[in-house]
Amino acid sequence: MNAVEIHNLSKFFGQKKAVSGLDMVVPEGAIYGFIGENGSGKSTTEKIICGLMRPNNGQIKLFGKDLSDEDVRHKIGCLIETPGCFPNLSVWQNMMIQAANISLRNPKEKVAEALKLVRMEGSASNKFRNCSLGMKQRVGIAMALLGNPALLILDEPINGLDADGIRIMREVLTDLTLKKKCSVIISSHILGELEKIATHYGIIRRGKMIKQVTAEELERECPKYVAIKPLDLNSAENLLSEKYIKVTRKDNFLRIYGDASPEETVNYLFKHGIKVEEVTTEKISLEEYYIDLMKKGENEIW
Amino acid sequence: MDQNQIIFDKPSFIERLKRMLGVDFYRLLHTPVFYIFLAISAIIPAMVLSMTGMSQEGEIAKPLYTETWQMIAAKQPLYVVNDIADYANMNMVFIFGGIMISIFIGHDYRSGYVKQLFTTHPQKQDYMLSKSLTGAFSMTCMCVTYIIGTVFSGILSGTSFEVNVSSLLISILSKMILSLGWAGLYTFINVILRKHFGIAIALSFFIGTGIPVIGAAAIVGNSSLLNLFLYGSSVYACLGSSVTAFFSGAIVSIVWFIFYAFLGSVILSKSDVY
Repeated sequence: MNAVEIHNLSKFFGQKKAVSGLDMVVPEGAIYGFIGENGSGKSTTEKIICGLMRPNNGQIKLFGKDLSDEDVRHKIGCLIETPGCFPNLSVWQNMMIQAANISLRNPKEKVAEALKLVRMEGSASNKFRNCSLGMKQRVGIAMALLGNPALLILDEPINGLDADGIRIMREVLTDLTLKKKCSVIISSHILGELEKIATHYGIIRRGKMIKQVTAEELERECPKYVAIKPLDLNSAENLLSEKYIKVTRKDNFLRIYGDASPEETVNYLFKHGIKVEEVTTEKISLEEYYIDLMKKGENEIW
Repeated sequence: MDQNQIIFDKPSFIERLKRMLGVDFYRLLHTPVFYIFLAISAIIPAMVLSMTGMSQEGEIAKPLYTETWQMIAAKQPLYVVNDIADYANMNMVFIFGGIMISIFIGHDYRSGYVKQLFTTHPQKQDYMLSKSLTGAFSMTCMCVTYIIGTVFSGILSGTSFEVNVSSLLISILSKMILSLGWAGLYTFINVILRKHFGIAIALSFFIGTGIPVIGAAAIVGNSSLLNLFLYGSSVYACLGSSVTAFFSGAIVSIVWFIFYAFLGSVILSKSDVY
């Protein structure tokens, strides 16, 4: 059973295609990193899943049920951009309003629990308008968590969060998926953070899903390499290209892919009279993978 | 987790509406603008009553009102306005109500509250009904403070309190029940113009002044057909009203309320909420 299944989703704003023939599958219990540039259609897709926007075309199933089935939406917790709270009311009052909207039993207990989870229990009486951006995002996350959602949709949730806030959110999300089998769709431009928690990725570009991979597949697609900084970059590159299958240059570094070890590489260069300033073993990051994919897409499209 | 473990709650319409009304009333009672409009409704009759007798260039102006209760409703249902006394009465509450509802609903959208709301149990018709009922309540409260303000200003200015009590009660109750229809209309306007707060508030004000009906009356005269509209029925609820005015007002109010709630729900269901 998949938490979300989207087939051929399209959404137009006048002549502009925000989402065009998008397919997407989020398995149950997954943390799905939804990645794309600004205006690529992430938020629109998320709003459609939440029922805030109507698609022009396509099928959406949540837990096997059609999105038009109103009951299924009650299992969604969401934070789209910023939390929708009344600024003149306190954090607690806003949370209680949301608890009423989702017909929560024992609302006081549940609200206190959610606020504690995001370390906001001490600020419950603060007026929402007096909260910092990071505190507001925490309140939004707490609201999304109310009522034990089976699917959590978080659009840029770490915007404005401090390091501690980001760590808390990471812990909360990991805990939710492991213990409560909650599925999470999370979009963020902070790919380094996403990489730490996501189990699946969907990369969207101009309203189309260009790649869906699991974290394991991504791991395989992002190989490790030895990065060295030789004093004589050109000679080292020529020399290493003869020995290894793939050698690339990035800034003042050479990257050697394949089964090369740092010691072996350094010794090899040293034997040929080339000194090395730095050597490390690294892995292609999600950010780099994403940028390469975008560049590739750019070349294909144009 | 397999599908059997996910429980999809299905609260009944009544349960949903009760919860939503609870939230809306809570919000209303925590909205400073509501109390500001209650105060304005109380002050306006005093202002109008005192100003109508003010001296102008050394001469004492003839008072527009000879009886205090004319501040509540005109003596006769005059749709064609000849002077301010035909116009300035408790119907002004419907203008304040329009602005109040625009602010209330506008706040739902500007704060982003609707995106929290519509991803949960409440449905579009619940929203329309709840906002309309809360708006009707706020206008009824304004009617009460308006009456209190009228009585006080009548006492202070020494204006006569003579009236046919049953007609007065009928006109007051009619205007109160007409709040429902007006609230439905304003909720509809604000839901349709949800992305244009400024236009929504201006249109609510314009409709609330009754200018469209007054304009129509200038062409067709004091026709009873105008009672089919909310402003017409509000004018019809006057100090000369019989019980017919009450029932016709109640029917007009409820029919328009249902019409706007239905139309608003359909439009909301077929468009992007946020």
